[in-house]
Amino acid sequence: MNLKVNGGSHEHTGDGSVSALLAELGANPEHSALTVNGDLVFSKDWKTFQFSDGDSVEVLTFVGGG
Amino acid sequence: MPGTRNSKLETGNPPPSYRSAAGGKLCLGNVEFSSRLILGTGKFSDTETMIRAIEASGTELVTVALRRFNRDKPDDDLCAPLAKLKNVKLLPNTSGAMNAKEAVRAAQLGRELSGSPFVKVEIHPNPHHLMPDAIETFAAAKELAADGFIVLPYIPADPVLAKKLEDVGCAAVMPLGAAIGSGGGLSTVEMIKLIIRDSNIPVIVDAGLRAPSEAALAMEIGCDACLVNSAIAAANDPAGMAKAFAMGVETGFAARKAGLMSKSEIAVASSPLTSFLT
Repeated sequence: MNLKVNGGSHEHTGDGSVSALLAELGANPEHSALTVNGDLVFSKDWKTFQFSDGDSVEVLTFVGGG
Repeated sequence: MPGTRNSKLETGNPPPSYRSAAGGKLCLGNVEFSSRLILGTGKFSDTETMIRAIEASGTELVTVALRRFNRDKPDDDLCAPLAKLKNVKLLPNTSGAMNAKEAVRAAQLGRELSGSPFVKVEIHPNPHHLMPDAIETFAAAKELAADGFIVLPYIPADPVLAKKLEDVGCAAVMPLGAAIGSGGGLSTVEMIKLIIRDSNIPVIVDAGLRAPSEAALAMEIGCDACLVNSAIAAANDPAGMAKAFAMGVETGFAARKAGLMSKSEIAVASSPLTSFLT
């Protein structure tokens, strides 16, 4: 499945779940927030959410800022 | 009661009682803080230095920014190190947002990630001066306050805007002292005094402070807290500077509580002017 992740092309080889994508990226689920095609996907919905081919995904975390 | 908060400050009378919680704590929304210094977490040379500065400052509230996960820079992720600081709450900011819509989305993401009800609304689309967009900031703050956030908007030192933000439910206003990261000090001091005079919510100076003396001045004129980042992160000894800012904030607040003497255009002798030795 082809996804656009954080602005770049990404070939997802997992089962299309959030946990599979985050594991693929090496992102800690507890430290990540997610938008798909601009919409926030709440963590409570991650277990049932499925990516679709062509989705634009943003994986976000906290960094230093003032 | 509008217009009374610090109107007597310049006369030397004790400042009137106002928005502090019992015991003189800073109250943001329904949350009380013993420390009146808020720290930003940007620009530190490394995470360990940042953590030491936070601990040295005694702060209970730190800002964080939301950015794309970068697998090549795992140390950028502050979630784990900040989670170890048990007495420190997170204040996610909306930096990077170019308008109200983006700021609202950033705030929702920040709340999702942190579980924190606090949000620092900052919308500054021009990278040259980073001045806050008052119109978009107002729109975002109004929407977020209605959505239950404890909203702390970063704003130009504009007393009219500050009052309108209070009216739509913001928990505090955060006027700039000078441009972000500039070290320009409390250049807006006269405008901030006008904000303080009429405000019924905490006034927090955010951006521009370079020296602890400026933080002390901000507290002396009636500010409720200071938010400092660059001055601490860029110091030779960030933890030392964080402690110094904490002392500056405490000193200024204590001085205001004690009541500054009134000013006079002429000298007022401290020693008797009669019965000199001849």
